[in-house]
Amino acid sequence: MMNILRILIFGVVALAQLAVPAAMVWQREQTLKNGRVWKFRTAPVDPVDVIRGRYIALRFTAEEFAAPAKFEAGDKSVYAVLKQGTDGFAEVDHLTTEAVGTDDAVPVESVWWYGDKQHMRFPFNKFWVAEANAAAAERAYLENNRRDNQNVYVTIRVRRGDAALDQLYIDNQPLFEYLRAHSPR
Amino acid sequence: MAGVTNRRAIRWLRSQLPELVASGVISSESARAIERHYEQHQPRSNFAFVILAVLGSALVGAGIILLIAHNWDELSRATRTAIAFLPLLIAQALVVFTLMRRNESRPWREAAAIFDVAAVATAISLISQTYQLQGTFADFMRTWLLLSIPIVYLLRTTLGAILYVIGSVLWLFARWGIFSSEGNPTLFWLLLMLVIPYVVLRFRRDRDSRETATLVIIVALAALFGVGATADFAEANVGAIAYAGLATAIYLCGINVFPQPAGRLHPLAVLGGIAIGIVAIVLSFEWNWHMTRHVASLPRSSAANVAVAVELLFPIAAVCLAGFDVLRRRAEFSLSAALLPIVAAVAWAIANLCELPGDRWQSTRCSFAAATVMNCYALLLAIDILARGIRTNSIARANFGLLLIATLAICRFFDSDLSFMIRGIGFIVVGLGFLVANVLLFKRRTA
Repeated sequence: MMNILRILIFGVVALAQLAVPAAMVWQREQTLKNGRVWKFRTAPVDPVDVIRGRYIALRFTAEEFAAPAKFEAGDKSVYAVLKQGTDGFAEVDHLTTEAVGTDDAVPVESVWWYGDKQHMRFPFNKFWVAEANAAAAERAYLENNRRDNQNVYVTIRVRRGDAALDQLYIDNQPLFEYLRAHSPR
Repeated sequence: MAGVTNRRAIRWLRSQLPELVASGVISSESARAIERHYEQHQPRSNFAFVILAVLGSALVGAGIILLIAHNWDELSRATRTAIAFLPLLIAQALVVFTLMRRNESRPWREAAAIFDVAAVATAISLISQTYQLQGTFADFMRTWLLLSIPIVYLLRTTLGAILYVIGSVLWLFARWGIFSSEGNPTLFWLLLMLVIPYVVLRFRRDRDSRETATLVIIVALAALFGVGATADFAEANVGAIAYAGLATAIYLCGINVFPQPAGRLHPLAVLGGIAIGIVAIVLSFEWNWHMTRHVASLPRSSAANVAVAVELLFPIAAVCLAGFDVLRRRAEFSLSAALLPIVAAVAWAIANLCELPGDRWQSTRCSFAAATVMNCYALLLAIDILARGIRTNSIARANFGLLLIATLAICRFFDSDLSFMIRGIGFIVVGLGFLVANVLLFKRRTA
């Protein structure tokens, strides 16, 4: 009797264990399928900072814009309202603390103001790569993400305030196609 | 082969017993007698086998993941998602099988539990990677711990409970992000509370086993980390009292809850005793008692107030535990050790008497007086431990007392905040204490 109860409880637990990753998949699938596409140009980074374990640490040129005064958010969450620049890449139009459930605003992790510029950090700042590709991906990213050779961007899908990192492009090719094309073999 | 069939038959017979008793075929006495008879035939599952089973299943799981990860980037998102769920589904099937057919086998339960918990982590991290999800390590740990704790209860796994507590401490450390301000640690106490009923169950079942001792010690160590993080978050200057309370509470729990034959101490009481010694030494430094106005004038959030309440819970519990025993006149603990939270509270009150300076590094007459109180207390405590060691003829305890005295002397020697005269007097006192203790020990040994 006790054991049947245990199995029943485990049924509930097992459902929860499945539901958590499934919910993650579901939300991302919705955003990736129906979200609006934004292209973000990456910013040159400190080489030491690039790979932490198995992801590429991403910084974006859009993560700063000229602002005369500091943006005051208090304890509230901050959102960045996006606009498309003349070169087709995303730029931040302005920051807001009002929850924006549209396809042209993304949540922002942290904001600070320094040197007449408003800085922020987007929540999509890690691009996961498999262990086998990590070293090659790091090299490719560094070579194409220098001040004299800026050739990297990512596509982000935004749907109702949820931002999903879709793909990292180097030289207009998705990372893994680029790696395959440039592999020593 | 015969052994295997036999064991299966025994398992079947034992599962039939309640039914046979219910239908009146055999009496409940005979059922118990049959149970007892076969208990002796049951091979005793030893802990080494459990560890091997767990290690084996973990290695198989890790190997499968490595094989998949090799060509990971070539696979489509859908394939990767399916692969992420596969180990979890297998693990869950294994848990159901264990609950139905191998419920009495400890290695099966431990291995199935570890496999399932690892599979949950695998599924979440593989999905995170596939979909470029960004959450922090702390978020991941929290989800993982909450999905794992029911397994500890369902499969009655102490190893799982120990890993769960270690995971909670990892969550505590993961809160410190690089750019985010450190988060509220209150969830840690909730996570720890979730495992306490299991600790009680274990305690009721098998109080004196090594397993139970390990579990309670891990929980106590986790609480020590928790108080540190809570004090850091609360910013209320009461961390000293909280630590003093926790150390004493651990010591008193060790003495009261795990009584041992005369002259011996349960490992939990030993841990508490060591913690008391360390806290007393640390609090004897004057910089601990530099109170700042900054803290008093800070606008307090309700979360910080909850943290303060959590901090104060430990000294209150310790004083209640000690008071209860003193009232019932069955105190077996060292009174000087149990006094630590009260002495720390007195020192805290003294340190707060003066006008508070603006920054943390300024000392006042009051902070000096508070440190003096703690120094005297630490010396008395050390002498008391030494004396108890001599009385019970315990070399370890006497040495611990001597070690505390020596540490105290060395600390004061390097403490440049104190004037030479005070240092001199202090050294004379410590030296006299040393001499008296040694003379006593010597007399005792030669008598």
